[in-house]
Amino acid sequence: MKSFLTLLAALLALCALGFLLGSYESDVYRKLLLWIALGLSFNFLFGISGQVAFSHFVFLGFGAYWVAISLVHWDLPLAVAIASGLLVAAVAAAMIAIPSTRLEGPYLALATLALGQLFLLGIASGRDLTGGDSGLGGYSLPPILGFTVKGPWYTACIVLMLGLTYVILDRLDRSSFGRACRAIRDNQTAAQAMGINAPRTKVIAFTITSVLASLAGIFYAFVDNLVAPGAFSLESMFILLFMVIVGGTGRQLGAIIGVVVLYMAPFFIEPLIGHYHFMAFGALVVILIIYKPNGLVSMFDPILKRRRMAALEKAQL
Amino acid sequence: MIAAPLLSVRGLTKRFGGLLAVDELDFDLSAGEVLAVIGPNGAGKSTTFGLVCGAIQRSAGEIILKGARLDGLPPHEVARRGVFRTFQHNMAFKGMSLVDNVLIGAHRRFKGSLFGVVAGFGADTERAERQRAIELARFVGLGDWLDADIATLSFGQGRLLEIARALAGEPKVLLLDEPGAGLTPSESVRLFAIIKEIAARGVAVLLIEHDMHFLMPLADRVVVLNFGRKIAEGTPAEIRADPEVVEAYLGNIAKDSTGAGAAHAAG
Repeated sequence: MKSFLTLLAALLALCALGFLLGSYESDVYRKLLLWIALGLSFNFLFGISGQVAFSHFVFLGFGAYWVAISLVHWDLPLAVAIASGLLVAAVAAAMIAIPSTRLEGPYLALATLALGQLFLLGIASGRDLTGGDSGLGGYSLPPILGFTVKGPWYTACIVLMLGLTYVILDRLDRSSFGRACRAIRDNQTAAQAMGINAPRTKVIAFTITSVLASLAGIFYAFVDNLVAPGAFSLESMFILLFMVIVGGTGRQLGAIIGVVVLYMAPFFIEPLIGHYHFMAFGALVVILIIYKPNGLVSMFDPILKRRRMAALEKAQL
Repeated sequence: MIAAPLLSVRGLTKRFGGLLAVDELDFDLSAGEVLAVIGPNGAGKSTTFGLVCGAIQRSAGEIILKGARLDGLPPHEVARRGVFRTFQHNMAFKGMSLVDNVLIGAHRRFKGSLFGVVAGFGADTERAERQRAIELARFVGLGDWLDADIATLSFGQGRLLEIARALAGEPKVLLLDEPGAGLTPSESVRLFAIIKEIAARGVAVLLIEHDMHFLMPLADRVVVLNFGRKIAEGTPAEIRADPEVVEAYLGNIAKDSTGAGAAHAAG
C-alpha cells in the first residue's frame, strides 16, 4: 500500500511537471520519459534476464512505424492500430526469440545486431509505405473518446505508460519469474537443475520486454508526429546500454538514474564545449563506470541496507 | 529393503567417443536410504550424477523414478519430478541474496501465471515460501547469514547453501556431489547430522564422497565404481572387507595414516 502511494505520488509529480514546461522543454521531457520506459524494459532484458540483445530499438521502431502506417495508409482506428501493433510485436518477438535465445553470449548479440541493421535497411527502402530516409509524417493523434489529447495531457499519457511499464516489470522482477531470470543469468546449469526451464523463461522475458519497447514506440510516434529511421539507429541502442550499465545493471532504480543522467548530460556539456560533447560524453561514461562499477544506484546501498536491517530487526521482535 | 525402490537405474551407459565413462550400471535407491557412490577419480561418479539429473544424455539404459522413466528428460523436468542435486563446485547465484538463492530451489512450487503476477496475485505464496526458505537456511546453519552478500560466504557455507537450495524443492531424491569436501571439522559434523535428518524425513539420498571416515557411518549401502563399472555393492562393512575394492580404491587410503587427506589430495 505504501509503495503504491509512493508510485502514485511520483506519477502525479511527473504529470504536474509536464504542465509547467514550455514547448521545447516539453519535447525534451517526453523523450526523456520514453527513454526511461525503454531503459526499464531493456534493464529487465539485459540486466535481469542476462540476454545481451541489441534489438530493443527495432521493437521501439516497429511500434512507432506500425501505428503511423496504420493511421496514414490503412486508416485503422487508433485502438485497433495499437492492439494489432502490440500483438504483431509479441508474435515477432517470440519468433525471433525462439531461435536466438538458444544462442548464447556473443551469438545472440550478433544475431540481434544483424536484425537491427536489417530493420533500418527495411524502413529506409520502404518507399511510400515507410517514407524512406525522410520518414513518415502527416498524421496526428486521433481524438480519444471525443477528446483531442495534446500538450501536457499527452505528456500525462506517456507518464501513464511509463507507470504501467514500471509496475509490470517491478511485479515480474519480484516474482518467481524474475528470480528465475536472475538465476539463469547467474548460472544457467544450476538454474535448470533447480527446475527452471531456461529456454522458455528467456523467450518469455525477451517477448515481454520487446512488447513493452513497442508500446513505448507507439507513444513515441505522436511526440513529433513523425517517424524516421534516424531515431532507431544502433547508436541509440548503445547509448541505452551505457545508461543501464552506468545506472546499475539489473536494478530498476539504476536504469532510471542511468537514463536521466546520461540523457541530460549532453544538454549541460554541449553549451560548455560545443561540438566535442560526444567525446566528453564517452569520457563521462568511462569515469562513472570506473568510479561506480556497480552503477550510480549503489550510492544508495548503505541507506537501503540500513532500512532492510531495521525491517529485519522489527520482524524478529 | 522391503519397499519397492524409489529410483531404479538399469544398464546405464555413457560413451564419450571411445571412452566408456559409465558402463552398464545398475542400482536401486529407496526412500529414506543413503546410498554412497565411491571410486577413484575418473570412475564415472559425477557422470552418473549428470545422467540421473538429465544434464548428460545417456547412451543406453533406463532411469526410473516411481515407475516413470526419467531418462531423456531435460534437467528442469527431472527436477520438477522431484530429483534435486548439489554441485561438486559451489554454484550459487552470485547476484542474488541468500534467501533468494534458496527460493530458486522452490521454483517448481510456484504455480501462478504471469498474468496473475502482473495483476498482483501470488503475494501470499511468495511470503510463505520466503518464510520456508529462511527456515531451511536456519536448518543448514546459515541463519546468521540471511542478509550476507553471497560472495562473502566461506566455501563450507556455500556447500550448506547448495543443500538448503536443493531441499527447498522438497526432493524425493537428493543427489549430493561431495558435500563434505572442504568443510571444517565442525561444519562436517553438522553436515553429517543434516544428511541423517534429511534421510529420516524420507528423502532418498545419493551421495558422492571421498572421505571414508565421514561416509562409512552415514551410508546404508555403498556402490563402488571403477572405470565406469560397478565392482562392488553392499553395506559399508562389506565394502571395507572386499578385496577388489581395497585393491582398486581403498588400498591407497589404508596406506596413508591420515586417510581422508589422501583422497582429498588426489581430488
